[in-house]
Amino acid sequence: MKNRDLFEAVEFLRRDGEELLRRFARSHRGVTYADLRFEAVFHRSCVASDGEPRESVESESASFGVTVWVDGPDAGAGNFFGAGQYGAEIGALALDRKKLMAALRAALEEAGARARASARAGAAVRRRLGGGRFGVRAAALAQGPPPARDDVAAVFRDDPRTLDPEALKRLTREASACARDVSSAIVYNVAAALIELRRELFVSTAGAALTQAFAFAQGDCYVVAETPQGHQETYDSIGQQRGFEVLSEGCASALQPTPDLVSFANALAREAAELAEAPVLKPPASEVTVVTDPHFNALLAHEIVGHPSEADRALKMEAAYAGRSWLLRSPAASEIGNPIGAPILSACSDPTLVGYGHYRYDHEGTPGRRVMHLDRGVFRGFLNSRATAAILDAEPNGSARASAACYVPLIRMSNTFFMAGADDPARMIADVEHGYYVCGSQIPSIAESRENFRISARRVYEIENGRLGRLYRSGSVLGDSKRFFMNVDAVGNDLRLIAIPNCGKGQPMQAKRMSNGGPTLRSRARLAGG
Amino acid sequence: MLPLAELKRFAREGARVLAAEPDLAQVELYCSSAEQLVMRLNYTSDIPSNGVEECKSLGADGFAIRIVPRRNSHEIGTAFVAGDLSVAAIREALERARRAAVIDPHFPGLPDGPGRIEIGKSGANDLIRASSARMVETAWGIVDGAIRAFTARMPPGIDRRGLVLGGDLSITRDRFAIASSNFDGVRAEQSACFSSSVTALVETLDARSTATAVGASIAELVRTVPRLGGEAVRRALALGDGEQPAPGKHRVLLGPQPIAEILCYLVVPSLTTGAFHAANSAYLGRFGGGVMDERISLADEPAGRARALMRAITCEGLPARRSELIRDGRLIGLLSNHYDSHRLAHDEHRGEKLGPHAPANPLFPAASGYRLGEGGGRRFDATPGTAATNIVMHSRGSVSERELIAAVGEGIYVGRVWYTYPINGQRAGDFTCTITGDSYLIRNGKLAAPLKPNRLRINANLEEIFRAPMAAGKRIEPVTVWGSPEMFYVPALACDAISLSAVNADN
Repeated sequence: MKNRDLFEAVEFLRRDGEELLRRFARSHRGVTYADLRFEAVFHRSCVASDGEPRESVESESASFGVTVWVDGPDAGAGNFFGAGQYGAEIGALALDRKKLMAALRAALEEAGARARASARAGAAVRRRLGGGRFGVRAAALAQGPPPARDDVAAVFRDDPRTLDPEALKRLTREASACARDVSSAIVYNVAAALIELRRELFVSTAGAALTQAFAFAQGDCYVVAETPQGHQETYDSIGQQRGFEVLSEGCASALQPTPDLVSFANALAREAAELAEAPVLKPPASEVTVVTDPHFNALLAHEIVGHPSEADRALKMEAAYAGRSWLLRSPAASEIGNPIGAPILSACSDPTLVGYGHYRYDHEGTPGRRVMHLDRGVFRGFLNSRATAAILDAEPNGSARASAACYVPLIRMSNTFFMAGADDPARMIADVEHGYYVCGSQIPSIAESRENFRISARRVYEIENGRLGRLYRSGSVLGDSKRFFMNVDAVGNDLRLIAIPNCGKGQPMQAKRMSNGGPTLRSRARLAGG
Repeated sequence: MLPLAELKRFAREGARVLAAEPDLAQVELYCSSAEQLVMRLNYTSDIPSNGVEECKSLGADGFAIRIVPRRNSHEIGTAFVAGDLSVAAIREALERARRAAVIDPHFPGLPDGPGRIEIGKSGANDLIRASSARMVETAWGIVDGAIRAFTARMPPGIDRRGLVLGGDLSITRDRFAIASSNFDGVRAEQSACFSSSVTALVETLDARSTATAVGASIAELVRTVPRLGGEAVRRALALGDGEQPAPGKHRVLLGPQPIAEILCYLVVPSLTTGAFHAANSAYLGRFGGGVMDERISLADEPAGRARALMRAITCEGLPARRSELIRDGRLIGLLSNHYDSHRLAHDEHRGEKLGPHAPANPLFPAASGYRLGEGGGRRFDATPGTAATNIVMHSRGSVSERELIAAVGEGIYVGRVWYTYPINGQRAGDFTCTITGDSYLIRNGKLAAPLKPNRLRINANLEEIFRAPMAAGKRIEPVTVWGSPEMFYVPALACDAISLSAVNADN
């Protein structure tokens, strides 16, 4: 182990960061709020292709982000303000305390200057427009629970920092070789794995001071299979907030069972080879009964429940990049309290569960908690931040998260899923006279407000008289979101969470880890084929 | 950002430190300093909003080393370090790289290139020094212009304004230096460009329009960006009361933005040596043969005239060259980095993967190896991958916009799409996307009525778009694609019999 430990910088800033922010706020007129996020990350990753090593990386990094809010020139006349942010990767410079503090002070100055410039420019625009033509004034941050002061440890058995460097290389190579050797139909594959230890710090002028540590272990596999019948490209990921042990041994969690990396690659390659020989789905033109598996429902939960339930999306803050939400037309006209699904269907986000999206506090220092989105068919609420909670007149529910400390937090899913029901999945299929069993998800195509979707599946089986029949590839499920949810007539007891390693959101784009999932569902939809 | 001179000095010193290690046969040190400044817009007339929502930046300085030990020419070790450009950090990185080393039988050694690289027009411009204050001012100018345009032209008799304005103004700037045992001296470059995309929705009219600008100077930024808000609003107001045609097969005039999305997500990823080696290119087996209409040509131009991105040197230290990909419809080139060039050249199934029309020993120069971050700037902690820079499409026999629309006769002009994805795998060339705005019905060879946004989904294949377009536009427009580091300079294309399905399955 080397002499310098970047994680020590977290401890140092835990002690000195608050005073730094206090001094900054005291010495700069008009500053109403400032916060600092800092993280140290140890990362090890390997890639193998077609059974041969391709790349291996080991790194330690550190980054920070500061946010400053200032009152506008007409403060007190309606809460106008300006906000500025500054983010940077500082790396090993964080070990030099003088340099670290100097960098943070400079960052606060710059963020404050941006906030003041924006407040001035914004006030000038509003004055020029005059007569209230600007519209509705921005709201202040909602007050959440008392500022948190806490330290949360990561959970792992095999410390990523002390792992034998050869262990991950061997495992990745073995996984890729195993995928290659499944069948002569496998013409290309990539197996990748990473293990990571992160320690995050959040301090604010509101009095929050907390650290959270996370261990991540993730495996990804991409397989290309080719047979005389066809061509299939399949990819998937596994992940847990644990150490290397998850990749080498798997994890028997009831909520998020995870195979070891080699078994995972093997199964994915077998599936790709099987699908490459399967015919392309030629579905009927009319609506059919579909039984969708937990993996497919993970993408359904992600795209049709999760994203539309993000308050920034719902409040049209992302309309230019990613659309709006079918769950809200205006703060006074949303689906809250309205039925949007069958009474047996419920969905929530819950960062307290041990899934890939687990955390205790969000990146505004608000404790994360379960947020019910769908409660027995009725829409109940949005994921929010302190700013959006104020607009919606709601309590902040701890859903503002950034992919790294140098990014601005956005509203993000945590573990977002359809909740378990009471039905036996095998019975759900056995009760179908004619329909389709849809397994695994690939690509979403969604309407602008996610009121409609087309989600492609990995495997589609025809169901005849309660039995699974022919396997097809290149099938997709098309549906009107509300109609699909309202037509759910069975919800399985087999809830599973699936690790989602890279949900992209924001400008610049942030790729965030989370989990989505659900049990087996049965509803009605149209299908599309290749 | 760190000065270029400091990066060059560090690269030189670092390479010397690494080269002194007796067990190393080849060494490379890459260092970069990058920053992305983003002013994100969020204005909603009927919901509390800030106008300019975020004034933020993301900076990253650091270096990466790659080492090849003498004991095995196929062994490669990599490490990167953020923030600390010092000899001590190099020594620490060296330990990590040794621990991380793997033996890849296909690793061909570090890139070696010409002894010297002539840098023509530099990518340096005054955007390198553009201040946050100017960005903030300009961003508020966009919001101001949009609100003014809306209040001046707001339709009478509506009880809710329903204006939503979103988008951003971004500057991406980077500097890098690279030194290697395989070429002389230090190679270095800096570049900066801006992009701005502003979308106006008028909810009360169910109308949406986007105005964009890209460029490489402060003067261009000042000239083009402030008016984007007003432009987006005026166009959105003109797109109100749209119609919704029935789903089915239609003649479609795809504007530059949809063409850019299709190129970005389907075509360009298939035009790489990596995709051919992985057997997932949509053009597998067709190198040297016709893949698009014979009037169409496609190239990557890293240093073209009047292009927003300027690259003279790749992130592997090799010359960034113009890569002609498709000439007169025939696939004649592929984008590549150093590793993938070698990999495909030695692929035992290369003949089959390239196809019967490929020359006996085609060369794919490594002219497109870049280390890019999410924002598109150079990143020290990214592995060299293959990326395009400025993708330019031309067509012979192209016509004016009026003639394009006339050629369609009866159909749809598609101005903007999103969520463009390959479905059924990249190889199949099938894709889907949703028509989101800036679109019109064409009747009697003229734009007749706005199209309601977000009602129709395109489900098509690359062949249907590029194999036999009815006509191509003369005007080449710059387009950015959200999340993509490339710039696209593309015309509009008129296509026949494109399948459109209703977004609402019940319609």
